[in-house]
Amino acid sequence: MSTHHHHAKDFLFTYVFSTDHKMISKQFLITGFLMGFIGLIMSTLFRLQLGWPGESFQMVELLMGSWQENGVMSPDKYLALVTMHGTIMVFFLLTAGLSGTFSNLLIPLQIGARDMASGFLNMLSYWFFFVSSVIMLISLFVEGGSASAGWTIYPPLSALPQAIPGSGAGMTLWLVSMSIFIVSSLLGSLNYIVTIFNLRTKGMSMTRLPLTIWAFLLTAVLGVLSFPVLLSAALLLVFDRSFGTSFYLSDIYIGGQVLEHSGGSPILFEHLFWFLGHPEVYIVLLPALGITSEIISTMSRKPIFGYRAMIGSMMAIGFLSFIVWGHHMFLTGMNPFLGSVFTFTTLLIAIPSAVKVFNYLTTLWKGNIVFTPATLFSVGLVSTFISGGVTGLVLGNSALDINVHDTYFVIGHFHIVMGLSAIFGMFAGVYHWFPKLFGRMMNNKLGNLHFWFTIVCAYGVFFPMHFLGFAGVPRRYYTNSEFPMFDEMININEFISIFAIVAMIAQLIFFFNFVYSALRGPKAPMNPWKANSLEWTTPVEHFHGNWYGEIPTVYRWPYDYSKVDSNGDYIYGEDFIPQTTPLGENEKDGGEH
Amino acid sequence: MSTLTAENINYKEELKRKTSKPLIWIGIVSIIMFFGGLTSAVIVSQGGGGFLAIEMPFAFTISTFIIVASSLSFHFGLISVKKGNYSAAKLSIIITLIFGLLFVVTQYMGWTFLHDNGYYAAGKESTQESSFLYLLTGLHVVHLIGGLFSLLVVLVKTMKNKYSLENLTGMQVSITYWHFLGALWIYLFLFLRFIIA
Amino acid sequence: MTIVVIITAILIIIVASQLLKIAELRAKSKGELIYEVSEKAGKTQGTLLLTFLFVLMGFFFWQMYSWYGLRLPDSASVHGESIDFLSDVTYMIITPVFILTHIVLLWFCYKYAYSSKRKALFFSHSYKLEVIWTITPALVLTVLILMGLTSWNQIMTPVPSETDHVLIELTGQQFTWTARYAGDDKKLGRSHVTLIEGVNATGVDAKDENAKDDKLVKGEFHLPVGVPVQFVFRSLDAIHSAYLPHFRAQMNCVPGITTQFNFTPTITTEEMKAKTGNEEFNYVLLCNKICGAAHYNMQMDVIVESQEDYDKWLAEQKTFVE
Repeated sequence: MSTHHHHAKDFLFTYVFSTDHKMISKQFLITGFLMGFIGLIMSTLFRLQLGWPGESFQMVELLMGSWQENGVMSPDKYLALVTMHGTIMVFFLLTAGLSGTFSNLLIPLQIGARDMASGFLNMLSYWFFFVSSVIMLISLFVEGGSASAGWTIYPPLSALPQAIPGSGAGMTLWLVSMSIFIVSSLLGSLNYIVTIFNLRTKGMSMTRLPLTIWAFLLTAVLGVLSFPVLLSAALLLVFDRSFGTSFYLSDIYIGGQVLEHSGGSPILFEHLFWFLGHPEVYIVLLPALGITSEIISTMSRKPIFGYRAMIGSMMAIGFLSFIVWGHHMFLTGMNPFLGSVFTFTTLLIAIPSAVKVFNYLTTLWKGNIVFTPATLFSVGLVSTFISGGVTGLVLGNSALDINVHDTYFVIGHFHIVMGLSAIFGMFAGVYHWFPKLFGRMMNNKLGNLHFWFTIVCAYGVFFPMHFLGFAGVPRRYYTNSEFPMFDEMININEFISIFAIVAMIAQLIFFFNFVYSALRGPKAPMNPWKANSLEWTTPVEHFHGNWYGEIPTVYRWPYDYSKVDSNGDYIYGEDFIPQTTPLGENEKDGGEH
Repeated sequence: MSTLTAENINYKEELKRKTSKPLIWIGIVSIIMFFGGLTSAVIVSQGGGGFLAIEMPFAFTISTFIIVASSLSFHFGLISVKKGNYSAAKLSIIITLIFGLLFVVTQYMGWTFLHDNGYYAAGKESTQESSFLYLLTGLHVVHLIGGLFSLLVVLVKTMKNKYSLENLTGMQVSITYWHFLGALWIYLFLFLRFIIA
Repeated sequence: MTIVVIITAILIIIVASQLLKIAELRAKSKGELIYEVSEKAGKTQGTLLLTFLFVLMGFFFWQMYSWYGLRLPDSASVHGESIDFLSDVTYMIITPVFILTHIVLLWFCYKYAYSSKRKALFFSHSYKLEVIWTITPALVLTVLILMGLTSWNQIMTPVPSETDHVLIELTGQQFTWTARYAGDDKKLGRSHVTLIEGVNATGVDAKDENAKDDKLVKGEFHLPVGVPVQFVFRSLDAIHSAYLPHFRAQMNCVPGITTQFNFTPTITTEEMKAKTGNEEFNYVLLCNKICGAAHYNMQMDVIVESQEDYDKWLAEQKTFVE
């Protein structure tokens, strides 16, 4: 009896309330992917409506119930789906899912620590995330439906149930869920920063950190600085909604009534929201960039080109992200001079971004590239980062923004540069570190198949959206069929929707591969990719503490790939030199020759 | 079980020593950003239209003195522990706790004064500036209650003579947070005094 | 039906699992590791990536060919021409960047796919290269920023009151637009939500002298060609955004504050019909900020016509007092 009890307790603390960063990482990954899959299904559902407006999809009614009566989606449910899709993808999949998984997995392993600074806070971070996910999903089932004011929840629409049904109980739960989410994210970030600064192993100086760690560090810093501001914005909104204050509301006439609120301004909300909202883009993107830097270098068997420039450009991007939020608000009637300032700072971001792209390209140049699925997704990220990035020059320029603001051009832009890049980075990371996560290998063939379906469909979905933008089609329209000028767009919309459906189905390949490999895949060796960084010196099986005995000492940076001596032979007989190998005579550390 | 180094008690102690202080500092940074967001919200709102002046309750001025005094007494407690004078430490921590509670009381008196003078936190008659006044002070008190709990823990541990010159981390973390709360209040007080009132 | 789908899915999963197992066993019997990428498999992926270059570029040009024609017609406003010009300049820059970087990226993938005969080059940094690709984008951006800011500041400057212009207030509410013309005195009367009552749907103050000759119209509004039009925007409920794509004009309507935008129409509706060869063509005002369930259908027609026609139309409209 007592042993049974003991086992149950063991199980509970190993798999559920674990304080081991590796288990927490897996928890984040699986919860994030589940949320992501729900977000993906939502997008497919509203793509059905956009591709074939008004058409009846009886099959879908099974899934949607009264949201899709007689198989046709209603306009307010369309908005509810759009809102939830955005919220889930941005926050639950790409913030918590991506950063939570890989920061947790890699920070202790790559810097040489036994665990995070506080395993307890780390566990709390996951469980807050879990609770907020559950609440967000519950909000789908309340009266009036889930929040429907767009993922940016601008008041007054989000503040007034009279304006849209989703702004009732659904919005309340959204705010509750997001507040818990913010706490989760803050607890995580706190831990990441302190761990990186305080628990590095001997010899692991800041300039010997893998770029992944730099990316996670900067991401966490952005999170600590920007998420509290979103919390303050949400709090003021809660007061306006529930207690009759007027922070955001003023002079409103709705449903035949004048409201008592006066003196507030919705613009205040936009300022507070985007002060988080823009750094959030990089909270999503930087981890993906870090992951691919690591993978591209390892898999092309070459040092990452311009290690310091990579760090510098990430820092520059992080810094600039705090002074560009106004570019989401060019058309809110802000002072045109302020608009000019924001145009200037926004376009500056193109410089560090360009540096990163060119450094990736140079890393591939004269490499010896091993094409695993992780490599493919990393190359995919470079591609989407370019294709989505260049259109940023259009949107960031306030004069040009006038005509493309809030059109499908924007949707195309940010889905490619932020959505696709981040999810490609996440897939790359999962394929690459799967052996560390589950001690088994994923199947390459299925991985390749998954990549090819995904990239082709992704471009098929988001590239044409730019052309909808050229035609002036606004985003968040339930259907384009109410305007004769958009009649011809139906072909494009159909085209996009078909690709979207195929893309969704293609993700099943990944999920199958993931589940199968985690349970029955071939056992992983210690260092399957012949990589230098510290995580590959840990045993395959998981235990709390990461290394048996002493934590290894680090002697060099992690990018000594294909280092040759004066005869042109590999220095240590192999094309990689782990960080734990002491420097030889006359051998310099880091990027020097 | 010996392989589970991360669950070794020595390791845990060392970890706590190494990371507690940075954790609280970064936590403080995020609280600063939170109040920074709110106070800049006040400034943005003020730019939008005329802000009415509100008479600041005198109780808030008393609060300021109290919280400064509480920081001093807490600090004295830390010094006493370092000197090994535990009875003085206990006394000063009890005094700090009382000051902390008094602070909450004076805050409450301030709100009563505001309410009786027709400045409401919310509702039809409330104005943005009065709402902000309640909100900022109220949120500060919420953070202070966290501080009071940590004070309680410190008090219990001092009673049990758990602290020593080598083992002060818990108390130092608590005192850092408490000083921060004082500084935050002084910032808010000046901000409210010169921006809203 | 549902049962059939579920059974099929389960069968597919079982079959796929068995196939994976067999593949793994086969690799094992040959002494290979299934997760190791063979040189041949790597080359295949490299070639596929190069093929993808052609697919992506082909797709890009195919889209240009089939869909670029669907873009908005030439700008029907004066400032819109500067936007279109700047936009063209930007695309002239970003399109080659997009194409060239993809050629380089995917060519490298093909060229440098793993070969056991080669060694990768240890090349970790080059100060010169990094400076080059920091400075080059910086220079290009300087041009774009300067051009952008010049247009932006011109566009956002309100029409000076002494210039002859038309003053119109556009009010958004769920889910309709109301236009108010300033009337003969060229001044809009005061308005506030508390004054909304019956037909006075936007809350115009009847006591205000300036309001007496104001004219409210719904459904469509008219603009004279060649005359600057100064717009003032209001909203009664949610945030709306007045989007006039053909004029390259957009501004949010925010409850509690007023915003402004101005443009000078250059092409009449009739001329545009001829130009686009579309008899049905009409300028429209759309809502471009999510504002509720019928957001997708919040529209108003805009008619641009000659000064005479415009005067005639305006004279027919009733003033606020009437």
